[in-house]
Amino acid sequence: MENRILKKRLAGCMLVMMLLMSVPAYAGAPMSAVESTVNRVLDVLRDPKMKGPAAKSLKTEKLRVIYKDMFDEMEFSRRTLTRNWNKFTPEQRREFVDLFEQVLEKTYLDRILEYSNEKIVFYKESMIADDKAEIQSRVITSSKEVPIYYRMILKNGKWKVYDVVVENVSLVQNYRTQFNEILAGGTPEQLLETLRKKVKTH
Amino acid sequence: MKHNLSVFLLTVLFFAAGSFPGCLALNIACAEAPAMSDGQGVVGDGRWVMGNGKSMDYALAKAPSAGADATVRGEEALPGRADDAFQDEYKDDENQDYDDEPFAEERVTIADPIEPFNRAMHRFNDRLYFWLLKPVARGYKAVVPEPARISVKNFYYHLLFPIRFVNCLLQADLTGAGSEAGRFAINTVWGIGGLLDPSSNRGIELQKQNTDFGQTLGLYGVGHGFYIVWPFLGPSSPRDSVDIAGEYVLDPLSYFTPWYTSLGKRPFKMINNASLSLGDYEAVIEAAIDPYIAIRNGYIQYRMKEVQTRRARSLFFRNWKSEATRAPAN
Repeated sequence: MENRILKKRLAGCMLVMMLLMSVPAYAGAPMSAVESTVNRVLDVLRDPKMKGPAAKSLKTEKLRVIYKDMFDEMEFSRRTLTRNWNKFTPEQRREFVDLFEQVLEKTYLDRILEYSNEKIVFYKESMIADDKAEIQSRVITSSKEVPIYYRMILKNGKWKVYDVVVENVSLVQNYRTQFNEILAGGTPEQLLETLRKKVKTH
Repeated sequence: MKHNLSVFLLTVLFFAAGSFPGCLALNIACAEAPAMSDGQGVVGDGRWVMGNGKSMDYALAKAPSAGADATVRGEEALPGRADDAFQDEYKDDENQDYDDEPFAEERVTIADPIEPFNRAMHRFNDRLYFWLLKPVARGYKAVVPEPARISVKNFYYHLLFPIRFVNCLLQADLTGAGSEAGRFAINTVWGIGGLLDPSSNRGIELQKQNTDFGQTLGLYGVGHGFYIVWPFLGPSSPRDSVDIAGEYVLDPLSYFTPWYTSLGKRPFKMINNASLSLGDYEAVIEAAIDPYIAIRNGYIQYRMKEVQTRRARSLFFRNWKSEATRAPAN
């Protein structure tokens, strides 16, 4: 009798272990990675306990954690600066990555917080290379559909977003043009100053 | 007993399947696999052995509780690597141009010889939006319910059917032309003259074909020329400006109504459409470091993609595509 209970427990333990162990398998699929992150965001936004302006900072805090887990801000920053990256000193690089992340966070968090039951459909995953994928999704509002593509890169066994393409406009490409133009006539320090001001005025 | 055995086998199987991608990504993990059976090996998402210079402290910061045990072992596996790894992340970039990226065609540029004029027009349009269009659209939004505003939008879109139809034909996209013709018929009859859009409903699903003359010229290989910001109308180029004329010639309203109604029509269309997308422009401006360049680049990326997708649909120009896209790169 006791033996049977023991075996049951053993089986239970194994089941738990099995579930824990199989987590990395999901990280192998870029589509499910981005979909689950977006669902986590939606859960926070739809949480009935967090209504009203008082809960806004709590929501922001929760979303920030998800955002950091989802985006590869280093890859994003490097790809926007391209050859300009080497013009920065390591300290300036660190500050740039930090400021740039804040700029993006501010604008897009505000936008996401305005969310009101739009439907989001993920419909296509294309592997571009062994370690790169593009996930296509559509945000459907009552008056229009907005295509949003996530470009992902596999690093250390985890799929992370390094570019977002909104209505056929790649964000990395868009910022790259801006930084190129600013740095063609200015110094990295001037760009950092612009970013500092941008973060402050928000 | 048998049952338990099968659970055990399943566990082993899942465990093997679960750690397999991890093995591929981390390449060291496979060697460590026997040690993992104690249930501590794979931590969270398998961040623990850093193959390409990501730091240990970085991993620790991201997964403080779970990562601790693995970190120790990771350091054993890669002695000396951990100290300078954090610096590594910010090190010089060797792959400066990211030429390997599969989306290199997105690096489109446009000449901007009249930038001072364009920047002035950009400022004008910006103020027009914030000082006039936005407040009016807000008031309008408060008075008119959303379904009505969507119907107005549908109606204006419906009216420009001739432009889309003609351009589908000019682009040698017969399916697109058929789809537009079908949409026009269905939406005129069942959509009460284009107020509703039953063609997009499930079951019919005739897709909108957003074609215009600028796009068709682009498909023929005509370049943008240079960048122009028109007052009121916004970003354009000599090529895309053809549509200002095209819209007048092929817009049925311009034949049946006196000319001044078309003057009144555009602001109303602008206000109505703005009321349905309040906040979009603001988001673009706020995210941008230099809004003028952000919009210019957004515009040409958007148009480039449009031409590309339309070309892929075309009967004649489909094969021509590869040459045309390769030419500017060389």
